[in-house]
Amino acid sequence: MKNYKIKLLIYTVKFFLLLLIAGNLFAQDSTEEAPVIKKVKPVKNTFGGVFLIDNQTVMVPIKGSMQMEIQHRFGTVNNGSKDLFGIFAPANIRLGMSYVPVKNLFIGAGVVKEKMQVDLDAKYAIIQQTPGKYPVSISYFGNVVIDTRNKSNFRYSVDRFSYFDQLMIARKVTESFSAQAGLGFSWMNNVEAYVDAEGKIQRKMNNYHFNASLLGRYKISPKSAIIAGYEQPLTQHTTNNPHPNICFGFETITSSHTFQVFAGNYYSIIPQNNSFFNQNDYTKGQFVIGFNITRIWNF
Amino acid sequence: MKLYKFFLLLVFVTAVSFKIAQPKPWVVPDKYLKMTNPVKSDATSLSDGKQLWLQHCSSCHGKSGKGDGPKAAQLKTLPHDLSKADIQSQPDGAFFYKTSEGREDMPSFKKKIPDQEDIWSIVNYIRTLKK
Repeated sequence: MKNYKIKLLIYTVKFFLLLLIAGNLFAQDSTEEAPVIKKVKPVKNTFGGVFLIDNQTVMVPIKGSMQMEIQHRFGTVNNGSKDLFGIFAPANIRLGMSYVPVKNLFIGAGVVKEKMQVDLDAKYAIIQQTPGKYPVSISYFGNVVIDTRNKSNFRYSVDRFSYFDQLMIARKVTESFSAQAGLGFSWMNNVEAYVDAEGKIQRKMNNYHFNASLLGRYKISPKSAIIAGYEQPLTQHTTNNPHPNICFGFETITSSHTFQVFAGNYYSIIPQNNSFFNQNDYTKGQFVIGFNITRIWNF
Repeated sequence: MKLYKFFLLLVFVTAVSFKIAQPKPWVVPDKYLKMTNPVKSDATSLSDGKQLWLQHCSSCHGKSGKGDGPKAAQLKTLPHDLSKADIQSQPDGAFFYKTSEGREDMPSFKKKIPDQEDIWSIVNYIRTLKK
């Protein structure tokens, strides 16, 4: 099973690299036919918004933008019509606000129902895909998450904290198709432990976890797109190894909004919780329906 | 008597509706009227302009610029039919100014679309809406 997962990851990375190379070839053909006479500028709208289902994208809005974020993940669809495919099951919710104080830097904060967590986020667009200059866009995303539940849940105050860092590389391959690959690193200050047969305390999981992600967006009209993603856990833990995430959905944008409706395996919204603790198994059909809504203002 | 009151009410409603539906003249500074469009109306510009039009403008102005977008009915001032000859007779700079600055229901796009070339591309696309 482990070998199978590694092979799957290698194939998906190869596929993504092929797409990048193919995109370069197409770009060379088109520039030969129509020489560029205008000043070269970074490509626009690699993705429709700052999120793509459960992941961040390389996108950072223009300076002075303020964004409100509403994210929902319903229960798993397995109960069928009993709870309307999870829609009437307990949902996880995130409400957030973000702002772009300086060019290419996005900062934000949010509150999440699950574990009453508060997240503080930052994203920086390091490189923006520019014809003839940069073939890809590269962004960094990082967060600090605080579990604000009652102190009886924690031995030490620092146990409340967890962290996530991600490097994302994306390319707008054609006017309709964009793809992104990402490598994420999660850190939990507190992990569960158990007492083994010899009476020693053993960790159930490591404090750290690596994961890789692939995302894609295909526009079916100027305002609508099919979106999909895959996330593969890379770190092996002693127990409770998390499952990968497969997600797919539909996106539509307006002048100020992004709407995404989708199904996927992740329930947590907070990226390190998803990477560490996802026990929804796609082979058992444990998908959740969810949506992301963003509303942006320009000041 | 009742018929008389009804007639008066009808006149009043018609008058108010007429007032709502008629946009005030929009004075464009000379500087903009004299501006020449620096972006050539080629396939790239028209494609960019169309994308931006559909994302930012079509909800009020309609896909083909006739002022029949799904949000038009909620506006205090109905959008003009941009395909008409009298609207199309305005210089490019006037469209650029109105798109950039906005007024009342029409939002300003100079912050939402900070690249001026993009606004000129929208102007190029508006020219394709002409009947």
